Amino acid sequence: MTSSVATQLAQLESARQIVLGDAALYPQIVDGILPIIGPVASLELRRWGAEFLAETLASPTIGSQQKEHLSLLVLQRLRTLLENPHEDAGVIKSVIQAAASAYGPIFKYIINNPHESETWGNMAAIKLNILRRWDNAVAGIRICCIKFVQRVVQLQTPGLIADPRRPDQNELSLSLVPRDHPLIPPPNLEPEASGLLDRLLDIFNEQPSDAVLITATLNCLSPLLRTRQTIANRILNAILSFNPLKHAHPQMSLKDKVQVKSVERTIRMLLLNILRRNESGSFAVRIKQHVERLIQARNEIFDESSRKRSLPVEPTDGLDNAKRARLGAEVQSRAQPPPLPPGPTSIAQLFTLTSDADLTRFDVTQLPIDLIVRITLPVLHGIQQPHLEGAINAVRSRYLSLSQKPIPQPQSSAPHPPGAEEDDDYEPDFEPTEDAEQIRNKADVLPPEDSLQTPMEVVLGPFKLPQPPPLTAEESEQIAKGTINRVFSLMNVLDEPSTVKRQKPGLNRLAGSSYDRDAWMTVITRLAARAPAGLDIETEEEVGNEKGALIRSGSEQSSLSDGIRETLWKYIIEDFRARISIAISWLNEEWFSDRLLSSSSVSSKTKHKHYEKWVLKVLDGILPYLEPKDKILIRFLSEIPAIDENILQRVKSLTRDPERVTLAVNAIHYLVIVRPPVREMCIDALEDLWRNYEDARPSTQKLLQKWRPNILEDIKPDPSPNPPSQPQAPPVPSNPNPSATNGIKSPHPNDTTQPKTEPPHPTEGLDLGAGVEAGGAGAKTERGGGVVAAVG
Amino acid sequence: MRSMEAHLRLSAASYPVISFGTGSLVRLPGPSIDKPNVYPFNTTSYTSMYSELQSKDPRLYRANGLLTMLERNLGVKWGPERWQDWAIGKPRLEHVEDQGSKGVEGGVVDVVITCEERCWDAVVDNLMERGGGLNRPVHVVNVDIKDNHEEALVGGKAILDLADSLNRVAQEERVNGEGETGRGEGFDARVPEVIAEWQERWPLLPALWTLCWF
Repeated sequence: MTSSVATQLAQLESARQIVLGDAALYPQIVDGILPIIGPVASLELRRWGAEFLAETLASPTIGSQQKEHLSLLVLQRLRTLLENPHEDAGVIKSVIQAAASAYGPIFKYIINNPHESETWGNMAAIKLNILRRWDNAVAGIRICCIKFVQRVVQLQTPGLIADPRRPDQNELSLSLVPRDHPLIPPPNLEPEASGLLDRLLDIFNEQPSDAVLITATLNCLSPLLRTRQTIANRILNAILSFNPLKHAHPQMSLKDKVQVKSVERTIRMLLLNILRRNESGSFAVRIKQHVERLIQARNEIFDESSRKRSLPVEPTDGLDNAKRARLGAEVQSRAQPPPLPPGPTSIAQLFTLTSDADLTRFDVTQLPIDLIVRITLPVLHGIQQPHLEGAINAVRSRYLSLSQKPIPQPQSSAPHPPGAEEDDDYEPDFEPTEDAEQIRNKADVLPPEDSLQTPMEVVLGPFKLPQPPPLTAEESEQIAKGTINRVFSLMNVLDEPSTVKRQKPGLNRLAGSSYDRDAWMTVITRLAARAPAGLDIETEEEVGNEKGALIRSGSEQSSLSDGIRETLWKYIIEDFRARISIAISWLNEEWFSDRLLSSSSVSSKTKHKHYEKWVLKVLDGILPYLEPKDKILIRFLSEIPAIDENILQRVKSLTRDPERVTLAVNAIHYLVIVRPPVREMCIDALEDLWRNYEDARPSTQKLLQKWRPNILEDIKPDPSPNPPSQPQAPPVPSNPNPSATNGIKSPHPNDTTQPKTEPPHPTEGLDLGAGVEAGGAGAKTERGGGVVAAVG
Repeated sequence: MRSMEAHLRLSAASYPVISFGTGSLVRLPGPSIDKPNVYPFNTTSYTSMYSELQSKDPRLYRANGLLTMLERNLGVKWGPERWQDWAIGKPRLEHVEDQGSKGVEGGVVDVVITCEERCWDAVVDNLMERGGGLNRPVHVVNVDIKDNHEEALVGGKAILDLADSLNRVAQEERVNGEGETGRGEGFDARVPEVIAEWQERWPLLPALWTLCWF
């Protein structure tokens, strides 16, 4: 029997040699061999047969068509061998390898032959059998299961369709399966693959982990990571969250060491392999960090220093030229340690054995501590015993002689006179032992003639940073200005508040919480109005008795907040139509903080008039640019927190321009209607207009008729040149000034006394009536002196 | 040099062997360090290298041992092959003249042994790149050997020892029926243990191992 098996094996081997030489003969030979290697054949034959099938189906010399044919041919045999009870592990291993190689060709065959349910049934049975063995077989079989599953996942996950016109050129994957395939519908296959992948990656969570299985898994993942985009991230995450060194420790057995190193190294290989293909991918940084960490952790656990060349024993750092220059000098005679300087002795002096002034002046504390350690350890190593003992004795004798001397001044108490050469304040920073060693070591290489130098120069004196000169008023103003500019420059980089309609939080709104330009604006307005507010008063109170000082100091103190206000004002005026809401919220803040201050300040005598001052300034800033139909004025007047005579005076001044009479009148009228507290004041203003401004008479008359009819009856004003039939001011003859409408900018509205020449900015959502612009607002009246500023 | 030493030893012990280089070219020492003798892999025979060096400067190349080495190599196989160009699984019937060719006709091996970590990296990376289309497991082991004559000799011995150990375990498991009936744990599972034991015998040749796929 054995001899017949041997003969059979020899025959089979020669048949194998034939097909290895000529791949075209495979179908006949395989066909002939299959019956010989069935489940009833002897173990040796089955082993040989299974290996042969695995080799055949894997062979790169066989074309894909032929391989499909061969796979179909052997499928049934693979199944019977696999389902043979108590089959030999070697046979099973080879059969699973063969099945892994056959899965692709069979898969392709089924795609093209959707009704071959028997073939697919065989393949499915094989798959089921293999999956059942996956968890509890011996390692050799399990690794083959892993590879088989990897093939299944690869085939049952969509791949890339490189060229849809040439399906045979494309890589075999789920993408090639029609959606309505009766046997292998993709909606079923893909979840199966996904589940198998999970099981595959589960190995990284297994305890205890088996290096054979893990490296087998890691080494087969590369094609999935490369060609299956949909699952690559999942795999990568699993690998990156796996720590192969978790249970590693230096005392583990040699076998465990081999395993841990193997796993760690294989992970690194896989990660680097992925990284090389995709250097800039989203995972690249994570991968790099992970690899770095692995290397570091590995080096910590396994001391691999023996494989590296050791560091040179004597480090030569480039810091100390004195040392380098004299490295070659021979040291024959020990330098006598110099005597201690007279007077009180510091610890540094006690330990200082060198008399080189340069060395003693060198501040060791400036070096980083790890560098010092790196220098000191080899130095300690290399120091000669007699030298060390000599130095210790020198210090000891100094100490003894010192301790026998009466102590003139206890070192810890009694502060030293300023500028004294020894100052114990310096000591805490010193590291006496290291430093002494170092200095002593340097002393070793010093030539003896240096030892005669006077020790006085050796002592390190105390060093105090001189007080900076006080800032002059101009300087501090300059710096304050710079600070303010920086605060405002942030505005340019902040986001515009999103234009999307946000829901209004109403009372729940938190000012300055949205991190956009609005929020920053809130911060700035509060900086201006609130932050230095209390400071002003204190100063004023403190120096209140000196009149001159009060003015000076007060103006200095408030310069910062006024600087902010000034800048804020400029910012608003630059584009007041768009920024009118900023102006309003700022002025509200000012008003509120004025109220706060006057209610809280001890001496209520001090009046806080920031609001009054700045509201007028803003108004002055925008009035010259108002168009006859601007609604911005009405909005401004209605939303600022308080209105007084001065404001109305400014508004009234608008009527000097016949074109804008209506604007002024309308604005005041609006206030009459909606702000009852100032109604009387406003009607007074209207009356004033009616009396004193001819252009305004027709429009005011109508209003007064309603609000204060008695006046009209009491006093008849002078006959109007513009009868009531012409209520509006006559339109200015078209004299369009291009600079006003085309937006040529004047340098800057810096000086408030100069007429503003900046044209109005293009209207944005805020002013409602801006659809049509009046023909030409060439010249506009400037308030106050009534200057007519010709633009352009 | 190291791999050829190992090839010689393993084939002398009648193991089926294939040997490869992983560099881009075959580089042999030349008259100076910046003038090496360079040959392409796969197409240059050891005989032609030998005759070329012999004609160039026989004294130099005899003195530095190069000719001796080539004499040895040309008795072992036709010429140097490059790992990256190896068509794994392609029948190697044309290599019957090479020593150790018997048993590797199928163009696959069970174990790959490299002599330097750099080569191990190259092999593992290359196998990942190839994608394991043959679905066949292969143990890749590195035995770190310094690149000189003496170490190559020691390393060759160590590699033979490793092969013997692995082979012994494989035989045991084969007789045991690879554990399906519960008697053994299988060859693959025992590889780390074999390497650990081997490492104890050869502590100066650090080993590294992983399970790859052809």
